[in-house]
Amino acid sequence: MAPVAPRSGDAIFASVERVNAELFTLTYGAIVRQLLTDLEEVEEVNKQLDQMGYNIGIRLIDEFLAKSNVARCVDFKETAEVIAKVGFKMFLGVTASVSNWDADGTCCSIVLEDNPLVDFVELPDTCQGLYYCNVLSGVIRGALEMVSMKTEVTWVRDMLRGDDAFELQVKLLKQVPEEYPYKDDE
Amino acid sequence: MQFFGGSEISPSPPAPTASGNNAHMMYVFNRNGVCLLYREWNRPLHTLNAQQDHKLMFGLLFSLKSLTAKMDPTNAERGNLGVPQLPGQGCSFHSFRTNTYKLSFMESPSGIKIILVTHPRTGDLRESLKYIYNLYVDYVAKNPLYTPGTPIRCELFNTNLDQYVRSIA
Amino acid sequence: MIGVGKIKQYSNVLDKPLSKGKQEVSLSAFAFLFSELVQYNQTQVDNIAELERRLEDAGYAVGARVLELLCHRDKGNRRETRLLGILSFVHSTVWKVLFGKVADSLEKGTEHEDEYMISEKELLVNRFISIPKDMGTFNCGAFVAGIVRGVLDSAGFPAVVTAHFVPMEGQQRPRTTILIKFAEEVLRREARLG
Repeated sequence: MAPVAPRSGDAIFASVERVNAELFTLTYGAIVRQLLTDLEEVEEVNKQLDQMGYNIGIRLIDEFLAKSNVARCVDFKETAEVIAKVGFKMFLGVTASVSNWDADGTCCSIVLEDNPLVDFVELPDTCQGLYYCNVLSGVIRGALEMVSMKTEVTWVRDMLRGDDAFELQVKLLKQVPEEYPYKDDE
Repeated sequence: MQFFGGSEISPSPPAPTASGNNAHMMYVFNRNGVCLLYREWNRPLHTLNAQQDHKLMFGLLFSLKSLTAKMDPTNAERGNLGVPQLPGQGCSFHSFRTNTYKLSFMESPSGIKIILVTHPRTGDLRESLKYIYNLYVDYVAKNPLYTPGTPIRCELFNTNLDQYVRSIA
Repeated sequence: MIGVGKIKQYSNVLDKPLSKGKQEVSLSAFAFLFSELVQYNQTQVDNIAELERRLEDAGYAVGARVLELLCHRDKGNRRETRLLGILSFVHSTVWKVLFGKVADSLEKGTEHEDEYMISEKELLVNRFISIPKDMGTFNCGAFVAGIVRGVLDSAGFPAVVTAHFVPMEGQQRPRTTILIKFAEEVLRREARLG
């Protein structure tokens, strides 16, 4: 029997080594600051943060799988629940909830009430177009791609832009089967 | 592992039943079929060049997975022979034994494949492969200087791997 | 300048009670974020010295904020004014907040009056790293050196801070030493204070 996916990441979070969230928050702040200096354009910074998130996602997925004992999820619905309940808890110590499913079960929202990335952050007027937490959308996209799901992840609500929560929309585009990577005549 | 004694991040290695040099070689492939790592401890005979050897191993796993899934008498949702599956989907094999060696195999849903070839009398190595996967996560995936998809050249990983594999009975 | 990380500028951040700093994230979350900081900066440089300098810059921003936070939270805005005071503040208070423990050691340089060393057997940012031979003496500890410099500089103790691997007898892995070389003005002021 395949192991059953845990419904919460509490036990995993309690068992892994942890660090003060401030080190994490301030380091992330330093990264955003560096990008704003290097790239100047807010739009470019958004893109780079998403790319960096993707790069993190494709590595982080193995940590997630190794530590959570989650085997393959049966469908996208279960996948979204596992990200919200186990993934966010296991890495960031916060939980998220899943809502707003569309009719065919391929698009939903992940809502975060607590977000350690944004402690002490306030966007100044010059950075109003910035998606400060764009790294998160990239992480989800990258991690899911490694488990064969191509997705599109976009921000719906952002507290730094005056909304009442952080809400990400995750849309499943397609499932990508494994392909034999070598050609016969190679 | 004494140097990382304070760390709870890896589960402790499954207790070896006896020590010895049972391992012949090991492969790690990623989901794109790239051989990230090949290690050899005891392989007197080489008949192919490295690249052909890796390709052959990957092809063997790929076909065998497809075959074992096709033969599954318990699951109706099996694909056609040769039709690719999602990693971790359906049934899969975890080892086979010949008269001269045993091949143990694990695949994560992210497509990381770890293959360990050992003495034919080696016991169940599923927990050992999981432990090696954890070593990969700690010392490869979390190494700031490792670029995903490239051959693994991480001293910490290799040292810990050698030490662990030597303890496999 | 960019407001990221500023804590004093806007009313609604001020309204929020400043957290007590007890929240935690997994070490892995930090390790992956830090890895990406290193990976990104590798694309921005063409030599090791430049890479270390950029990591140090990133660390500096963290250090300056840490000092602000800690002074506000722990000391009622009172700052250390003496050299040994600020060093022990870095070695114990700052280390404890950032790395969950006091640093392994704080020593005075034996050859130079203006040098101090904070050493750590296994610095957090070096925990999972293997340095390829072609990267020579590269040390991710540059980020931590930057944090130390950020704290010291913001507290009025300008210094040059660098990170070095120091081989240890009987140990597989070297420890990391953060070398602090204070600016002349700091030592002159210290001498005046007596």
